[in-house]
Amino acid sequence: MKNNIRTILLLLVVIAAGACKNGANTKSKKVAVIVSTLNNPWFVVLAETAAAKAKELGYETKIFDSQNNTALESDHFENAIASGYNAVLFNPTDADGSVANVLKAKAAGVPVFCMDREVNAPDAATSQILADSYTGCVALGKYFVEKMNKKGKYVEILGLVGDNNTWNRSKGFHSVVDMYPNLQMVAQQSADFDRNKGMEVLESILQAHPDIEGVFCGNDAMAMGAYQALVAAGKSKQVKVFGFDGAEDAIQSIKDGNMVATGMQFPKVMAETAAIFADEYFKGRRDFPKKIPVAVEMVTSKNIADYTGYGKK
Amino acid sequence: MKKKFFTWVAIALVAALVVYNSVYFKKLSEVKASSLAKQFDPKLYARNFWNKLLPVADTAIKIATLKRSLLTNPDSTFDACSHALGIGNIRYILVKGEGPVKAVYEDEVAISILADSSKKPVRLATEYIFGNAVRDASGILNVSDFTNSMDFNNVSVEINKIIRAEVLPAFKANIKSGVTVAFVGAIELNRKHPNLDDIEVIPVRLKIIKP
Repeated sequence: MKNNIRTILLLLVVIAAGACKNGANTKSKKVAVIVSTLNNPWFVVLAETAAAKAKELGYETKIFDSQNNTALESDHFENAIASGYNAVLFNPTDADGSVANVLKAKAAGVPVFCMDREVNAPDAATSQILADSYTGCVALGKYFVEKMNKKGKYVEILGLVGDNNTWNRSKGFHSVVDMYPNLQMVAQQSADFDRNKGMEVLESILQAHPDIEGVFCGNDAMAMGAYQALVAAGKSKQVKVFGFDGAEDAIQSIKDGNMVATGMQFPKVMAETAAIFADEYFKGRRDFPKKIPVAVEMVTSKNIADYTGYGKK
Repeated sequence: MKKKFFTWVAIALVAALVVYNSVYFKKLSEVKASSLAKQFDPKLYARNFWNKLLPVADTAIKIATLKRSLLTNPDSTFDACSHALGIGNIRYILVKGEGPVKAVYEDEVAISILADSSKKPVRLATEYIFGNAVRDASGILNVSDFTNSMDFNNVSVEINKIIRAEVLPAFKANIKSGVTVAFVGAIELNRKHPNLDDIEVIPVRLKIIKP
């Protein structure tokens, strides 16, 4: 009898010790934030917010910059897995090219939560928190048509051609604009979401098409570059510039009456949601929605007072 | 010698069996037809949605009631009446109302709502029929039912085509200032900053009730 009681007590001690160990494990977990680039302030906000939220939830975090290079991104995943990171908050470089990296983490039992950009594999990531780029650009397209009075020549500057957001934005915009035959797109060129390239691309387009009246850019960095090119060419009053992202300098530019509009896509909301999902995953949740769209809001001179860089006031 | 012969025959038979079961021949037209059948048809989906939407339209909230309710209890009104398919402040609501036409513009019609004490007319869109307001306001569809987000967006495109082709032409042909119209439609409101003085309605059902 005495022996039995002793055995039961011993078992209880072992179970309690195990429970304590599990609790300690949750707190000692590590979260990697792998982001496509830190060369654009918008992605810096995304990465830093994700890391800060994960840290606030009690996890050790580190930010990895893929520099828009899938090979480097692959190295980051291998390092993160080998270094014992327990979850990845991920902003992919390429919708197709990044799938292998997500699958690598999945095979190692590391959940991946995509932020802003998606990967083209429905079951690879644990969840994808994505800006509703298409719908945001439908609203921008409608405003573009209104501002252009349904006529005139315009240019479209695309982002990275391997990123789904590039095409979702372009398709949303064209789903409206293409219904107006007097709006003529004279050039469509990629500038890789980069400010300097945006400026160079528009400078060269302006040589061939000095009579354009509108520029639609797939992000704010390219829109700011395009605006610089227009200022240099003395055409900043003639050409209406539209961007997408809700970056701080774009919001200021709309306030100053330079850019016409942008789509606010709330990087902080996406980053914080991803970090919270990772925390919930560690605590046992498994029923995550595969994709969650985050609403994009159009910012113009009419409602600029409601917004600040990267979010609402 | 005989044993070797039978071994080779057996190997040849197995090889023939493997090759036979590894290669299939099908008519190209059949393969194309079956892959087309598997493709999502947004036009058909939108038509089925439209047929389901029309009965739901009768349950839309009166726009004057909605505005009053949003002024007094914004959170509970948004929770009860609006729909959205993700995270964010953009919400969609199915509304109905009636009133005299105040002005007819190139892209919209301004309607004074009889029961609305604010006296601010709503803008009934007649040109810019775009976006997801009608698709999402009903709350009928769920984004998780679609594996591809582009399919989901294309449903909106097709719904908007139905509105342009079937709801607007007769209305636009007969509309003028002073006539009284009844409408059911979808609106978009920003939950954090709802602008109740500038509401645009994307029409679902329109009727001139007093010419």
